[in-house]
Amino acid sequence: MIARGAKQQPAERDTPQSDAELMLRLASGELSALGELYDRHQVPLRNFIARATRDAEDVDDLVHATFLAAAKSAARYDGRASCRPWLMGIAVRHLRRRRQTFARLMAILSALKGTAASYRDPRPMLNARTDVARALAQLSEAKRLTVLMAEVEGMSCAEIATTLDVPIGTVWTRLHAARRELRQALGQAGEP
Amino acid sequence: MKPACPRLFQAEAWRDGRLVGAEIASFERHLTVCHLCSREVQALQALGESLRRPRDGDADADELHVRRERTRLLAAFDAALVPPEQTGGARRWLFGMAAFAMLSAALLLSWRARRVATGAAATSAVIVHADSTASWSTRVEGSVEKVVLERGVLSIHVDHARSHRRLLVVLPDGELEDMGTTFTVSADAGRTTRVTVQDGSVVLRIHGQAAWALSAGDTWSPPIKPTTSACASCEPSPVQPIARERRAPPRSAPASSARSPSPIASALEPDPSIDFRAAMAALDLGENRAAAARFAGFVAKHAGDARAEDASYLRVIALQRAGDADRMKEAVFEYLRRYPTGFRHAEVEALSR
Repeated sequence: MIARGAKQQPAERDTPQSDAELMLRLASGELSALGELYDRHQVPLRNFIARATRDAEDVDDLVHATFLAAAKSAARYDGRASCRPWLMGIAVRHLRRRRQTFARLMAILSALKGTAASYRDPRPMLNARTDVARALAQLSEAKRLTVLMAEVEGMSCAEIATTLDVPIGTVWTRLHAARRELRQALGQAGEP
Repeated sequence: MKPACPRLFQAEAWRDGRLVGAEIASFERHLTVCHLCSREVQALQALGESLRRPRDGDADADELHVRRERTRLLAAFDAALVPPEQTGGARRWLFGMAAFAMLSAALLLSWRARRVATGAAATSAVIVHADSTASWSTRVEGSVEKVVLERGVLSIHVDHARSHRRLLVVLPDGELEDMGTTFTVSADAGRTTRVTVQDGSVVLRIHGQAAWALSAGDTWSPPIKPTTSACASCEPSPVQPIARERRAPPRSAPASSARSPSPIASALEPDPSIDFRAAMAALDLGENRAAAARFAGFVAKHAGDARAEDASYLRVIALQRAGDADRMKEAVFEYLRRYPTGFRHAEVEALSR
């Protein structure tokens, strides 16, 4: 049974609560806990999703879906001090789902047109306005997500591996490949 | 051209946390002296910074947009919290609907079962056992239940106490009317081949022939075509008594021997009960004119029978029911003439007025 309504008014709290505490309140159905989490993490999450997709129209929906999914599964939160990696993981799952949906749509359209299917989402490239954005858009989604998590979000390789549910060696490999491709695209000297 | 530093790979490993303990300290000391590795670390750092640098369109949502999205999220979560109640309500509603549907189905089934049971009660008064070769069907037409026999053998038992319908067995070449009995009828090649009455009586009507009244123990088989046409003398009345097979001792002769009219018929005596039951059955069925004729035939044929007076009286009743006033008066006078001190005298006399 989910109880509704705040058990403790925010004004009564002097110190900000940790993400884990907010998740506990969220699991009990407190709307205000979700608001606090949103205020705390929406900017980095929005930036991550924006960099990952380069589709501004999708960002709002993906952020919304990520927080909503997190709120619904708050009871299963593992208790980490920061829930940002957890939110990233949820966002990645939504991104993948969206990519798969897009791929299916493209396959159907390609079949209707009688052309070979292209599963690569062109929107990141189309919306990239800078060299870095274009270079990032040229990466595969797996590499892009990995390098964004590592370089932008500051997640450790272990965290990335957990979030993406892949071996840590895969994370290292993807990171190395992503950096090489980015540097080549940006004209940086990969090798001295 | 400067040779590449063999520890250059450690720059990325160091950045990604793949180095541990002494390796970290060693590489950090190396960075202070190795120009190439130091540049590599700086390049990786620059790449990271370029990725982290805010770009147009990255997260350019203004405060108002963020507040709007926040409200949308909280509203959606609030709506998601409600469904447990709504879902519960929906589940209760669905459960109620399902229960209602099941109850309705149960009532319908019960009603149908009752209908079937009622129908079975009505038709269970007619129990039909068919042999494997029988081709037959049954249908109800108003107050008449018809068993249509095309070929094969049917053993039929009718309990008229449980059914208000007349039973008519439609035969390929005629029909057989039950009067409350148990009988067996068989047909083959488009004609009735045998009728055996175990209990009660039936009236058999074959096209082109007079009706046959069969009672318990009677067996009818189609007559062998006579070599001489003396059949006219065999049909003195609308309903003919049938040749009866003797039950004891068991007949060793084939059944076809019963078809021979003369030897069997000569061994049999007319049974007044058959005629009386046939007439009563006709009266019960509302076939008043036929009943009157049969009662007249009974009186004529079995004048000495104890039921002759009843037959004479019932003929009056049948004609009265038929609305035939003239013939009813004749029947009244006939009764009063025959039985001036009869039990029904006063009653019949009253009918004459």
